[in-house]
Amino acid sequence: MNWNLFFGELVSGLTLGSIYALIALGYTMVYGILKLLNFAHGDVYMVGAYVAFFVLQWLGGPLNTDVAGWLAIAIMFLVAMLACGMLGVGIERFAYRRLRNAPRIAPLISALGVSIFLQNSALLLWGPNFRDYGTFDLINVKSYRVGANFLISNIQILTIVTSIVLMIVLTLLVSRTRTGKAMRATSFDREAAEMMGISVDGVVSFTFFVGSALAAAAGVMFVILFGQASPLMGFTAGLKGFTAAVVGGIGSIPGAMLGGYLIGLLEAFATGYLPGGSTYANLYVFALLIAMFLLRPSGLLGSPTIQKV
Amino acid sequence: MRLLELRDVSKAFGGLTVVDHLTMHVDEGEIVSVIGPNGAGKTTVFNLITGIFDVDSGEIVFEGERVSGLPPHKITDRGIARTFQSLRLFLNMTVLENVMAATYGHTKASVVEAMLQLPRSRREEKRIRALAEEKLAFFGQRLVGYRHDQYAYSLSYANRRRLEIARAMATNARLLLLDEPAAGMNPNETHEITELIGELREKAGYSILVIEHDMHVVEGISDRVIALDHGVKIAEGSFDEVATHPLVVEAYLGARAQEEAV
Amino acid sequence: MSAPADGSPPDGSPVTGPTEEAAEAPKVGVDEWVARHEERRQAHGGLTGAVIQGWDRVPPAGHLAILFAPFVVFGFVANEGNLYRYGLITLIYALLALGLNVVVGFAGLLDLGYIAFFGVGAYAFGIMASGHSGHHLPAELAVPIAVAFTALVGLLLGLTSWRVSGDYLAIVTLFFLQAFVIFVNNANGGPSDWSYPFVGKVDITGGANGLDQIDPLRFFGYSISTTKGYYFYTLISLAVLMAMLFFVNRSRTGRAWRSLREDPLAAEVMSIPVNRLKLLAFVFGAAIAGYCGTIFGSVQSGAFPGDYDVGLLITIYAIAILGGLGSIGGVVIGALIVNGVPELLRSSENARLLFYGALVVGLFLAMRPWYRPVVVIVGTIAFGFVVHGVAGAVWPRGTAGHIQGGARLAGPLEHWVLLPTHPGRIGGWAYFALIAMALVLTLVRGWWRTLLLIPTLYLAAFVWENELVEQVSGATRLILLGALLVVIMNVRPSGIFGTARVEVV
Repeated sequence: MNWNLFFGELVSGLTLGSIYALIALGYTMVYGILKLLNFAHGDVYMVGAYVAFFVLQWLGGPLNTDVAGWLAIAIMFLVAMLACGMLGVGIERFAYRRLRNAPRIAPLISALGVSIFLQNSALLLWGPNFRDYGTFDLINVKSYRVGANFLISNIQILTIVTSIVLMIVLTLLVSRTRTGKAMRATSFDREAAEMMGISVDGVVSFTFFVGSALAAAAGVMFVILFGQASPLMGFTAGLKGFTAAVVGGIGSIPGAMLGGYLIGLLEAFATGYLPGGSTYANLYVFALLIAMFLLRPSGLLGSPTIQKV
Repeated sequence: MRLLELRDVSKAFGGLTVVDHLTMHVDEGEIVSVIGPNGAGKTTVFNLITGIFDVDSGEIVFEGERVSGLPPHKITDRGIARTFQSLRLFLNMTVLENVMAATYGHTKASVVEAMLQLPRSRREEKRIRALAEEKLAFFGQRLVGYRHDQYAYSLSYANRRRLEIARAMATNARLLLLDEPAAGMNPNETHEITELIGELREKAGYSILVIEHDMHVVEGISDRVIALDHGVKIAEGSFDEVATHPLVVEAYLGARAQEEAV
Repeated sequence: MSAPADGSPPDGSPVTGPTEEAAEAPKVGVDEWVARHEERRQAHGGLTGAVIQGWDRVPPAGHLAILFAPFVVFGFVANEGNLYRYGLITLIYALLALGLNVVVGFAGLLDLGYIAFFGVGAYAFGIMASGHSGHHLPAELAVPIAVAFTALVGLLLGLTSWRVSGDYLAIVTLFFLQAFVIFVNNANGGPSDWSYPFVGKVDITGGANGLDQIDPLRFFGYSISTTKGYYFYTLISLAVLMAMLFFVNRSRTGRAWRSLREDPLAAEVMSIPVNRLKLLAFVFGAAIAGYCGTIFGSVQSGAFPGDYDVGLLITIYAIAILGGLGSIGGVVIGALIVNGVPELLRSSENARLLFYGALVVGLFLAMRPWYRPVVVIVGTIAFGFVVHGVAGAVWPRGTAGHIQGGARLAGPLEHWVLLPTHPGRIGGWAYFALIAMALVLTLVRGWWRTLLLIPTLYLAAFVWENELVEQVSGATRLILLGALLVVIMNVRPSGIFGTARVEVV
């Protein structure tokens, strides 16, 4: 048993999973409230990654930053999350708001349109190539060794820890605050919530803000981990994030987190162990999705909805 | 042979038993009403008969053959059709198309025949159209002529209810399940519906099972009345028998009213 | 409300007597007059109304002839390049959109993997008739087999629609498209491919380089070898398919599909076997797409993975939606617009004319009365010259650049639009600013809107000249398509020729 490979893929999977979990959270929150699949969500993640790059450049670049490395990272997070949060609010306001009561295909197509718009705007403005910044130079990347075979780097720890912290904050937000209660109420019955004095527009905007901010955080983490960004990165990541949300049970926040880690681990172990490895890793994720739909359509932690006839 | 039989049928959703060992029947040519307070399980019974839900235990038999467990479209082919408590018309299709659509089960022309406009499909199309117009004509002048090409969403409420019944008729069913056909109607329309249900039996030969809340309608049409409460049959008989039955009074009005009535 | 207004007795029995003769012209207050009110209200007046009425009076065969006459003429007069770009590709897209219309428009199933069938058809045909594979089956065999195979794949994918619906079906089918792309990119027997039992590694699709040297269509010994030949072949196919779909729509299957789209549960209870019909829709759509694939593969003499991607999916969806889901004739118009316009945009000169022309026309269409657009246009021109003059004095590098291409318009434009020598980052910020201003415009009304249009239009010209014009073939086209989709969905979800649908939420 090659423990080196095992632990390597384990850590890799958890790291990737953290990113997918954060993306999945945005999907699941929006779907819970609006029953809408926000195709553009993955591209918000992409924008977050690019914003992180530009902030880094503005701060002087990875090699001679004006501020300390860790502070630079903190600023990257903050700016990206804020900017993408507002982007998400804007997208909702202009592409989805009018379609709240329209047939389901309408907001879906609109979301597709936004996704294509964002992807190609990025292509237009920033070119198709991977932007490669040696963010590795930003922080002194160190690997820690536990035992004989377990290797983990400080940025991987950062990723996993940050995402867990963000998820805890989100859970507290949803379960302990008034806004969170409003969010839950709106996801159960929008009309009734409105009649109880909850501003549905406000709740929806807030949900989009939070979801998009989380996606941005995921984008920043990707940049730190891999030092790259490309305009089309949001598409596949978005699909996997959505798969994670569905696998965990769409509408369920703990489900999205669980789903994210599952997908991340699946991808990592598939790359490491299964034939065809990295080329076909996406196919294995796809197969998991199909299996989930066939066996347990409501996902692992979701509750099956019964429709009154 | 009984037309429709429910034998010891039960259905539960999660922990809630909605239909509890129900046994009932409808004979050929009968009009039977099912009454009971809201939540008694009446619509669930309809859903079970038409195959939307499957029974947990017991069986449903139609014309001597078991239908419980079959998919809904096969049950309709056997001869049972229904209307819905909250209307479910095909809103973006015309009145005529709504009725024509329901003839699918007893028509045969395939896609290829339609694409190539082979004679058989053309003949069948004419037959379907004539059938639909005939069913619609059952409602007098309400749904004829120019009405045929109007979209269902533009119809008035009462006309929509009539259209749903016409659509159910087009399946060539022998048993009609009408779910609250008079709901939301004013006294005049209610009177019309009552007469209509009678005509459905007299002139068109249907056997009918009706869920209704309006006791005038129930009184006016029923050969037999079945009262349900919490999924259990609490009374069965003629209208007068059931209306004065102590359990029925209690179910609708509460125990104290029951005492006062005695 | 007491007795029915037309005088019939309350129990609905048929009317006889004087009212029947009087009912030729519906009277005010009489049932039919009231019922037709909505129709009258929605009927268009003036020229549009006359055109629509004339159109309705022509029999459907006439519709087809009118629609296709320009295409036939075009086929004979256009030169090779134009025929290919504007004609053949438009027709192929229209054919594809027609198939999509069956799945999404008739049956209401959201299939985001549709383009995979297009690819399957092309590759299947290529495997049977290409230099790459070594087989050279004649088209009269290869095409039906390819179509049947694609239909089979459609059947398999359609099975998933039994368990998942709506949004989830969309995702599953989208994943299928991804799987297809991954497969064709790797199934060349190379290092990343699987090794199959018995045969080992096999080159099925030629991998990332594609399956090349596909034979031209050869029916019974007669080869189609010219663009014109393919054009008319496709045109005839399109006409035949449109006719067949027209009949299907009015048949029991078409009604059953529409019922399925409206309310699957009610449809099932009304004797319609919903699951079987979903499969049929998938099979139908896949077969049509597969057929398109055989044409496309032989026209291009190859099947390349990059052709069957999400970008094309969006394009075909845009065509179907713009033309109106469920409208058979609409897809042709949609294809003309969605394919024709970006093609026109390829040459900078045309693009420029089209861009400014579209702005002007758009203004006149959107703003009444007539003086408002005039005010805006005059204002924008004046504004532009002022800004240019000021900028020229204050910031010389801002106006020293040159217009690319442009011919006749180049001169005046160079004095009007700001053309920095190094657009660089300013272009990017201007793009953001333009989007922001466009969004703000949707929020304000009345004279504010008219006023703010002026700087927005100027900014649009700036962004156009400095950024978009260069990238017209790739990113710009998709940007416009994406924006188009969002706008259509928000403003007119039923497309140009679709009928507005009523939905119970």
